[in-house]
Amino acid sequence: MPQFYGAIMFEFFTDFPDMSRRDLRDFKLAVDGAFRDFSRENGEAIESFFDPLLWFLIWLEKLLVATPWPVILIVVGGLAYLGSRSWKLALGSMLSFALIGYFGMWEDTMSTIALISVATLLCILIGMPLGIWMAKSDRVQAVITPILDVMQTIPIFVYLLPVLMLLGIGKVPGLIAVCVYAMPPMVRLTNLGIRLVDRDVLEAANAFGANDKQKLFGVQIPLALPNIFAGINQTIMMALAMVVIASMIGVRGLGIPVLQAIQNQYLALGFMNGLAIVGLAIIFDRVSQKYGKRLQEHRGGHDHG
Amino acid sequence: MKKLLISAMIVAGTAFGISGQAQAACGEFQMSDMNWPSATLMANVDKIILEEGYGCKIEMIPGATTATFATMNEKGEPHVAAELWTNAVSVELEKAMGEGRLHSAVRGPITELGEGWWVTPGTLKRHPEFKTVLDILERPDLFPDKEDPSKGAFIGCPAGWGCQLSNQQLFKAFEMEKKGWVLVDPGSQAGLDASMAKAAQRDENWLGYYWSPTAPVGKYEMQLMDFGVPFAGAENWDGCIAVGPEKCADPKPSAWTESVVQTIVTTEIKGMPDVMTYFGKRIYPGPIMNGMLVYMEENQATGPDAALEFLEKHEAIWTKWVSADVAAKVKKSL
Repeated sequence: MPQFYGAIMFEFFTDFPDMSRRDLRDFKLAVDGAFRDFSRENGEAIESFFDPLLWFLIWLEKLLVATPWPVILIVVGGLAYLGSRSWKLALGSMLSFALIGYFGMWEDTMSTIALISVATLLCILIGMPLGIWMAKSDRVQAVITPILDVMQTIPIFVYLLPVLMLLGIGKVPGLIAVCVYAMPPMVRLTNLGIRLVDRDVLEAANAFGANDKQKLFGVQIPLALPNIFAGINQTIMMALAMVVIASMIGVRGLGIPVLQAIQNQYLALGFMNGLAIVGLAIIFDRVSQKYGKRLQEHRGGHDHG
Repeated sequence: MKKLLISAMIVAGTAFGISGQAQAACGEFQMSDMNWPSATLMANVDKIILEEGYGCKIEMIPGATTATFATMNEKGEPHVAAELWTNAVSVELEKAMGEGRLHSAVRGPITELGEGWWVTPGTLKRHPEFKTVLDILERPDLFPDKEDPSKGAFIGCPAGWGCQLSNQQLFKAFEMEKKGWVLVDPGSQAGLDASMAKAAQRDENWLGYYWSPTAPVGKYEMQLMDFGVPFAGAENWDGCIAVGPEKCADPKPSAWTESVVQTIVTTEIKGMPDVMTYFGKRIYPGPIMNGMLVYMEENQATGPDAALEFLEKHEAIWTKWVSADVAAKVKKSL
C-alpha cells in the first residue's frame, strides 16, 4: 500500500495537474466562437471607423507616387538639410533616393514611406499624450508599463489574426501592426524625458505662478524634447523594421519583393530591397538624431546664457 | 522499490527486443513533416502505421515544399515526402527521377485535389448566372477592392509562392486589368486565409486563388469555378504561365493545370518493398480528407492528434491499405 500511495504522489509531481484536454479544447473553441460572433456583428462598423485613416494613407501614397521624381528628390534633400543642417547628409539622402529609383524600387519605396510616415504620425499622436499622462501619475505608469511590454514582445501574428478577421487584409491592419510594435519607445521616452526634468526648474516655474498647462508646454515638454526626439527616432526605426511583416498581410511596398526573395532564394532581389529599407532607416535616423541634438545644443545654450 | 526497478527493466528489455527485431524488417529513416495540415496528417498517420505495423523507426523533419525538396534532392534526406506538390519542382524532379535518386511511391495520394479560383458559396447563391470565371470577370463591381472600390479585387497567391507567377500570368491572359480588376497580393498564407475567411464569415463576395484539400475549403464550402476555357496545352502552361511575366510576355487564357501530388521517396526507401507497397495503396478519398482538415481546425488538433483521430474514426479506409496482421498491430497500439 505505501508503494501505491508513493506512486500516486510521484505521478502528482511529475505530471502537471493540467486542465483536461476536452475542457481546454472547449475553452479555446468558446473564445474563438465568441470572437467570430463579435466580428460578424461589429466588423463592418469597425471597418468604417478606420476608413478615414485608410483614405489618408491611400491619398498620401498616391500623392507620393504621382509627384515627379525630381520634386521628391529636392524635398528629401531639403528636409534632410532643414533637419540636420548638414550638406553632406542632404546630398547623401538625395543620392540614396536616386539609387533606389535607378534600381527600379521607386514606387515600392514611396508606398513604404507613406506607410512609415502615417504610422509615425499616429504613434506620436497617441504615444506622446500617453507618455505625458504616465509621467504625471505613478499609478498610470504602473498600468501602462506592462501593456507596453506586451506590445513589444507578443508574437505579431497572435494579435494580427483577430485584426485581419475584423478588417480584412491591407493597409489598415498593416498600420496597426506597425504601430503596436513601434509606439512603445515613443511612450517610454516621453515619460522618461518629462520625469527627468529638474525639480528646481519646476519649482522656479511654480514660483512664477505658472499653471499646470503653462508648466507642461512651457517647461516640461521643451526640456524633454531631446528625449522625445529619441523616442520618435526609435519609433521610426522600429516601424521600418516592421515593413516586411506588414507586407505579409497585403501591404504594398518594399516588403513584398523581400518576401518573394526569401521564398525563392533570390539573393540580389533580397539585398536590393533590404538595403533600400536600410537606406530609408539611415536617412530617417540621422536626420531625426541630428535634429534632436540641435534641440539639445539649443537648450545647452540657454543654460549657459 | 526493487520490484519497480525490476519491472522497469523487463519493460525496457522487451521494448529493446521489439525494436531490435523491427529494425531488421524496416529501418530507421526520416519523414518530412510538411507545414500544412493535410501533409502533417498524412505524415503522422504514416509514422504510426509504419512504426507500429512494420517496425520502422521514423524521425519527423519539419519543412515546406521547396526546402524539403531541395534537401531531398541534394542530400537524400529526409527520405519521404508524403504530400509533395510536384508542379512547382517538376523540372528538377524529373531529372532526379531520371538519375534514379528520387522515386514516386504513389501518384495522387489524395483524390479530388487541385488548385484554382474559388468564390464564396454566397456569391453563387446571389448570382446563379455565374457559370464560369469568364462570367465573373465581367462584373468587377460585385467584388470591390477595399483600397480602390472602383475596381474588382482578385486575391492572388502570396508573394514568392510558385503560384504567384501563374496567377499574375492568368490575370494578364484574361485581360483582367482592362476589365477593371486589380490583383491583390495577400503577402502570406495567413493573409490569404484571413481574407477568404473574413469574406465567407460575413457572406461577402470573394474571388481568389486557393487549393484543395484544405480545411477552409471544407469549412466555408468554397466553390471552385470552372475557367470557361479549356487547358491551353502544356507548352503554354509550363513554358509561359508557370515561369511568370518576366520570362514570358504573351500568356494565353487557360484552365489551371492538373495538380500533380505525389509521395516522393529516396532510393533507400525504394529498397524497402513493404513500405513501398503500403505507400502505393495509401490513397485518401478527398471528402474524407477535407472532413479531417475541418476536424483539425475546429479542434485545433496537431498532426499527431489528427492521425489518432483518423485511425480511430476511419478504420474502414486505412485497414484496406495494410494486411490484416499489420492492421491488428496498429489497432492494438492506439
